[in-house]
Formats: sequence, C-alpha cells, structure tokens
Amino acid sequence: TKAEQDKLLRVSTTLYVGSLSFYTTEEQIHELFSRCGDIRRIIMGLDKYKKTPCGFCFVEYYTRADAENCLRYINGTRLDDRIVRTDWDAGFIEGRQYGRG
Amino acid sequence: KRRRVSENQEIEDRLESLILRVGEKSTSSLESNLEGLASVLEADLGTFRSKILRILTDCAIKMPEKCTIYTTLVGLLNAKSFNFGGEFVEYMVRTFKDSLKACKWDAARYALRFLADLVNCHVLSASSLLQLLDNMIDAANEDNVPQVRRDWYVFAILSTLPWVGRELYEKKESALEHLLVSVEVFLNKRGKKHHNALRVWAIDVPHPQEEYLDCLWSQIRKLKQDNWSEKHIPRPYLAFDSILCGALQHTLPTILPPPHHDSYLYPMPWVVFRMFDYTDCPEGPIMPGAHSIERFLIEEHLHSIIDMYKLERKDCAAHLLNFPYKLKIPLEYCIVEVIFAELFHMPTPRCLEIAYGSILIELCKLQPSTMPQVLAQATEILFMRIDSMNVSCFDRFVNWFSYHLSNFQFRWSWEDWESCLTLDDEHPKPKFIRETMLKSMRLSYYQRITEILPESFSRFVPVKAEPDYKYAKDDAASLPGTMAAHQLVVSIRQKCTPEEVLGVLKDLPNPRSEEEADSRFNPLKIDVFVQTLLNLGSKSFSHSFAAISKFHYVFKILAESEEAQICVLRNMFELWHHHQQMMIVLVDKMLKTQIVECSAVANWIFSKEMVGEFTKMYLWEMLHLTIKKMNKHVIKLSGELNEAREKLARAESSTSESEDEEDSAKKKTENAEKPTEEMVERMEERLEAAQADQKNLFLIVFQRFIMILSEHLVRCDTDGRDYNTHWYKWTIGRLQQVFLEHHEQVQKYSSTLETLLFTQDLDPHILEVFQQFVSLQS
Repeated sequence: TKAEQDKLLRVSTTLYVGSLSFYTTEEQIHELFSRCGDIRRIIMGLDKYKKTPCGFCFVEYYTRADAENCLRYINGTRLDDRIVRTDWDAGFIEGRQYGRG
Repeated sequence: KRRRVSENQEIEDRLESLILRVGEKSTSSLESNLEGLASVLEADLGTFRSKILRILTDCAIKMPEKCTIYTTLVGLLNAKSFNFGGEFVEYMVRTFKDSLKACKWDAARYALRFLADLVNCHVLSASSLLQLLDNMIDAANEDNVPQVRRDWYVFAILSTLPWVGRELYEKKESALEHLLVSVEVFLNKRGKKHHNALRVWAIDVPHPQEEYLDCLWSQIRKLKQDNWSEKHIPRPYLAFDSILCGALQHTLPTILPPPHHDSYLYPMPWVVFRMFDYTDCPEGPIMPGAHSIERFLIEEHLHSIIDMYKLERKDCAAHLLNFPYKLKIPLEYCIVEVIFAELFHMPTPRCLEIAYGSILIELCKLQPSTMPQVLAQATEILFMRIDSMNVSCFDRFVNWFSYHLSNFQFRWSWEDWESCLTLDDEHPKPKFIRETMLKSMRLSYYQRITEILPESFSRFVPVKAEPDYKYAKDDAASLPGTMAAHQLVVSIRQKCTPEEVLGVLKDLPNPRSEEEADSRFNPLKIDVFVQTLLNLGSKSFSHSFAAISKFHYVFKILAESEEAQICVLRNMFELWHHHQQMMIVLVDKMLKTQIVECSAVANWIFSKEMVGEFTKMYLWEMLHLTIKKMNKHVIKLSGELNEAREKLARAESSTSESEDEEDSAKKKTENAEKPTEEMVERMEERLEAAQADQKNLFLIVFQRFIMILSEHLVRCDTDGRDYNTHWYKWTIGRLQQVFLEHHEQVQKYSSTLETLLFTQDLDPHILEVFQQFVSLQS
C-alpha cells in the first residue's frame, strides 16, 4: 500500500540513481558514491534483453545517514560528464534491475 | 476557550516571525524596525513574557551574526521595562551556564558575547561583566585540569573582546588592562607541542601557520593598539544612545564556571589556515591583514555560515556569496580560504570532504565570472606550496581536485606545471599529478585520461587497470600450478561446488619445507585458487564479490592462519597490481567476510613485497579502512553493552517502585526487553576481546612504523647521508596520519603505547610524533 511504501522510504538506505551514461561502470559509481560512506552494494540497471547497463542503478548504503549525505552532496553533480539524479528507493527487489533501456 | 488558545497561538507565531526576521532586508531602516518591534513586544510582555524570553534567547544563540541587533532590541525593552531586562539577563545567564555544563562550547561563547554586548546597550554594568571575565581567567589558571579546558576559557574571553573592548576600555581601563596581563601570562606559560601536528604546512613562508590562541592574541593586541575600534561589527545601538543611556543597568550575578568533569569533551586546538594575503587579490577591496581583528571576525562569520547551511549546499553557497559586508572585502578569496581551511582542518575536517567539494561546485555555478578563477589561483598556490604540506592534507587535496576536475570536464592548464616533469618521482609535485590522475581515472576511464593530459605528461597516465593473470601467459607452462589453474577454470565455469574446488587443488605440492613453523597452509594452493578465482570474477566488482561469497568456504579452509591470510593478499596483489581501486574493494570485502583479519592486512602492507607501493596513496587508503573497520566494531559493541547495562539498571530500579497500572504495564515491556546478567557478561567479554584485537592492531602498525623509520635513520647515520629524503617525509607523515585520523580510538591506548613502543630511547624524530599526538587532548 501507499502507507507501507512511504514507511519503507523513510527508513530506506537505498537510493535510485538515474540519468547515468550507458557507459558508466559500477567502478565509477563506487568511487563517487563511497565518498559519502560505506556501500553495502551496487546493483546496475540492465537492459531487459541485451543485459547491458542502461543508465540507472541502485546504491545501498549501510546507514541512513550516509544515504542522506549522498542526496545532499552527490545528487545534481556530475559523473562521466552527466548530471546524476538520486532519489530514495524503497529497497531493491530482484528483477527491478531490468529496465527498458 | 479553544478559540482563545488558537488566537494566542496565532499571536505567538506572529511575534516569533517578527523577532526572527528583524534585521533582514526591508523597505524601512533597521532602526525604525527595531523601534517598532520594541513597541509591539512591550505591549505583549504581559501575556507572552516567557515566550518572548525564549525566542530572544534562541535567536541570540542560533543567529550569532545578528547578535548586536538583538542586544539593541533587548536594550530598548530594558529601557521600557526594567523588570523584563532583569529577567532576560537571568535567562541568558542560565543559558550560558547550561551550555557550559552541556559542553556546548560555541553556544556558551555566543551567550557570553551577547551578555558582553548588553554592556554596550546599557543593560549590564561593565564592572559585573569584568567580574565574570575574571572568574573565567581563574578557571583558565586552575591546576590539574586539561589544557584544552583552560584554553577554551581564554579563547572565550578573547573572542568576546572585539564586541566590548572599547566600552571596557572607556569605563574600566585598568581592570581591562589587568585582564589582558593575566591572559598574556597564561599564554606565555602555555605548552604548544600540538602545534606542529596540526599545521597544514611545515614552514611559515609565505604565511605563518599560527596556533589559534596566539593568532587571536596578536589580533587583540593590534585591536588594543587601534584604541579598540574595529570596522566589521554593525552596532545599531549607537543610534539609540539617548534612549539607552537613560535606562537603569543590571548587575550580573556571580557566575562560577562549572568545575571540570572527566566526561567533559573540550574543543581541540587548531592552527589558523592562511593561503592568501593582499598581494594575491590585486583588484578591488583589500584583504585585511593576518593580525587585523577584521580577518578573525570575517573568518568566524564565514565558518558559521558553512556550519549553519552545510546540509543544503545550494543555500550554503548562496549565503556565502551574500555575505553582508561583501563590498568591503575580497569576498571570493575569503570564502575559498575558509573552505580550504575547513577541508584541511586537522586532525579531521568537520564535514565530509565531499561536502566542501560540492559547495565549491555550487559557488562556481553561482558566480561563474569570478569564482572559478579564484579557485584556480588557489589550486595553483596549493600546488606551489605542496612540498611542505602534511600528508593528510595532500590526500584531501588529491581527492578534492580529482572530484572537482570530474565535474568540469577535466579542464586544466597542465602545461603550467611542466617544470615538475624533471623532478624525482617521489617529489610531492609529480606525486600529486600522478595520484590525481589515478583518482580521476577511477571517476572516469582510461581513454579519457589519455586525452586530457598533454603529450609531455604521458608518464602520468596510469597503467590500464587490467588483471595480470600469469596462468594464461605464454610462459605459463613452466609454472607448477598451471595445470591445476586451467582445470579450476573449467570446473568453476561448470558451476562446481567449493568442495570440488578443494578437490582440484588437492594434489598441488606444498613448496614449503617441513621445518617451517606453520606448514599447515599451502601457498601454491592459495596462489592457484585466489588468482584464478579473482581473474574469473574480474569483469566487475559485483562479479568479484559473487565469486568470493560463493567460494568463501575454500578461503576459510586454505587460509586459517595469519600467514596464510597474508598469502591470500599477496596473490590478490599479484593479479590486480594495476587496479588500485579493485584491491581496495577486495580488501574491504575480505575483511567484511572475515576471510582476512585486520592484523593480516596491516602486516601485509608493511611487508617486503609492498616496498615498491609504500609511498602510494591507495595503500594508506587500505590501512585506514582497515583501522576504521576495527574501530567501528569496537564502537558498536561498546554501544550495545552500554544500552544493555542501562536497560538492566532501569528494570531493576523500577521493580522497587510504585505499582499503579500504567507503571506495571511499562515495566512488563521493559522486562521483556531486559537483558539477563549473563547476556551482559557475554557482551562484556566480546567487547574486551574486540578491544584486545584493536590494541593489537595499533601495536602492529606503530611497531612496523618504528622499525622501518629507525632502520632508515640508523642507516643514514652510518652512511653519513641526509635522513630527510622524500621517502622519509612520506613515511613519517603516514605515521602522523594514523595518530591523527584515529586519535579518539588511539587515545585509549596512549599509556600502553608509551610504555611498550614510544619509549625514551627511541629516535627523537619518531618520538616527537607521539608526543605531539599526546598533547592534542592534554
């Protein structure tokens, strides 16, 4: 439900990261995003058919505070010459990494 | 009745907003706004007295930059109602005392400043303020309390004088003189061992790197020479002189600083960071001199803006650029100097490093005509003076610069730095370019880095970050593990189990002789397994992590002892030596999954095989992440233990108390959570074990440092060579960095370190690093 979703978002330590270049790698994302704290995992968004990166990913931190800092200091700055957008995500579920490309 | 309540609420809200906003941009003058507000508040003093007291006090503490506006308002109110003035003073005194007790040092300083400025507004008598300052000097002269406590009291006094110095000078000249003499005596006796550890630069050219109290003292002396007149603080009360002079003054009650308690944490000393002077900003307004009080006031104000808006980088940049006195100062230079002062703050910056980087980016976006140029000039200056920069700041400079470049298409005029092409590789200048390129490559990619550097800089292009897998090379046939390695590749591709991996490795001979102490592990098995597995997972971090977690069991079987774990690390290095970031995340992963222990990583870093890597930044990134992991573990366990102890104590105390319904319901839930004595004991044991590991880790690290540094010093001595080489500077700097970056945790083992390692017979160069660290919190 909407309420449950909102609750998840309030405690989440996962961020959805969008408007990446298709060529941006997990390594690059790791370098930038780990400047805000220890990263639990990065899940690259993949094209449903080609299984290649398609411009988004999920970054999960260990703590809420680190994720908050990421929103403060990384959201809206550049990686690979593109302005990255980050937003709260309710938490990664298997299957969600496949986008439309 | 409800209507009344909501009406009152409305009025309260309106009063609050009026008070909060006074002094902001407005169509009428500040004086008429203050006069109007004083009348409004006077009318409401009956009903809303306590609310008004609370709001005014809050404003005084939370908006220290508007101090003189609010003191004027209080002055006007005092002229209308002497009683209210008295109550306000009482309220403010309580806030001051509470802040001291709660170790809210800045809040205490703002409260003190406010009280001092009330002397200017004829609310308080000058002599009673002097009495308070004298009591504070007494606190500074107490024996058997930490120096940091004594320092704070002197700092609080000195930093209040720009506001009230002139008034005290006019009314109580001899008492003020007496106070200043006491301060001077204090400063002359004061120990400053910490000074060198906190400096950004080792030398004082072109700008002295002054200790903060010494610098402020010089500024205050200069202010005194100038007859206590300064040009920075707005003083709206001057316009109301006739009204304020007519009011009666209050006397401060006797305020005695709360005595020291072992749980009190005082601010650490710092060094005033200076990178610009008036010659660096040739056009426009002049940069105030290093010892003018305006420099102190501007810096303090800019720091407080950063502190207030640090969570919103865009607001922060906008407020910095909107500095109230921007036309009178070279604002961009002041801002850049203050931001780098925060970034280079020792031992650690107040905010995340990237916070400063992102604020600088916003500043460049908001003021594109001037900010990027000033920042480029600053970078140039930092680079020119990098020879004497401390190692922690060198790292932060590299991290910031690579991040900044990545946000601005990596545009930089590298040609200007061509002169450093002829320097030794270990010299800080080429080192800075190389490390910046390595970091830039992490944020970008190999091809891009080759394109951004001019051809003459090709030696700074990092090697492509690829695995170096020996079992797939042409000459692999001669290696003893090749057959097994190839078989392992096939098995893992066919999704074999960990047991099957052990089966493939089973017949590999152990190259170690029987006599060797720990022949339980087979380095050849580890070699084949680690290099092959990591090479198969080399596609990305995720692939590597998946490989490690799938065959975790094999790691545990093959590498039980520390020696075997070091062997795992060595093989990881052999495969991945061109990919520093990969090695860092792999070490991190293997620590998290307990494949290797912290002590193994530390010993590996100092091992012979890593000598060639010893002055590279990434190696220290690894050591610090290892130490941090250990520290986090200890902090977590001790937090959990404290919580359990509290719960236990609460549950026990509540059993003996009253028995009404609500209480017993509460008790039930508390008892459900209540840990048993046995659980608490087990937690204590776990914490003790973790602390023993932590202590051991620090002992290993410091002992290894002492060994290599002593060896170097002795060798140079016997050979009659200068010991002060690049290698020596990097290494002693890294030692210093371990002390400073983890000072809170290292502190706990100070006495152990002193008796076991940092003994008097040690070379004084090494011993001094330890003594500087000890004096930080003395």
